Amino acid sequence: MDRIPILRMGQFLLVTIQVDLYDRLAIDLEADLIKMVSKTGARGILIDISAVSIVDSFMGRIIGNIGVMSKLLDAETVVVGMQPAVAITLVELGLPLKGVFTALNVQKGMDLLQSKIQVTEDDDVETHDDDNSDNLLK
Amino acid sequence: MESLLTEIVDSGSSVAILDISGVPTVDSLVAQHLLKTVSATRLMGAECVISGIRPEIAQTIVHLGIDLSGIVTKATLASALLYAFSKMRLEVKKIQVSK
Repeated sequence: MDRIPILRMGQFLLVTIQVDLYDRLAIDLEADLIKMVSKTGARGILIDISAVSIVDSFMGRIIGNIGVMSKLLDAETVVVGMQPAVAITLVELGLPLKGVFTALNVQKGMDLLQSKIQVTEDDDVETHDDDNSDNLLK
Repeated sequence: MESLLTEIVDSGSSVAILDISGVPTVDSLVAQHLLKTVSATRLMGAECVISGIRPEIAQTIVHLGIDLSGIVTKATLASALLYAFSKMRLEVKKIQVSK
């Protein structure tokens, strides 16, 4: 049975879809990916769909689902390399993929993920500082 | 729409400016198309800024009940360009020439 490989790269998971997705493959990818996120505690997912030339509403929904689910597990999703025809199809289908970030290529996608992680880490540090100051006051 | 998206891929641009100052009127179909273009640009991983919206067009858009709140709009092409530069962390400066 075909499976789409999920590669781990530091804090991120890398998924490159090299074949046209069919329904079963997409469902499996969704399940595998979300299991992998919870197992590895990944902070970001990068999905490269530059080789995908055809999508339908189902695939659009799966990508949207992955975004929302990984958000629940505190990971950001970036979809990179979407082809113009695919973008037009998704928009015409009324699926603007609000939950996921997008980038032109893998390089820019990685930069985006890195900056997102840094922002959240900075926030964490700030909240810790707040906790400390609270303790001091007490 | 297609040509804009193809050009974004070819040039690797991260910001696209859609200047509609030469467009005298907009109907619901055109407005809807603009919205779709902006959404598609976002999906590709770039950002689309609409500039040069005439007052009449702004009026029409509001009267048609089209929601452009999620889209960056600028009054002039110059301010859109300025916004794009700041997004890309570029700055245009006058160089002091020493005599």
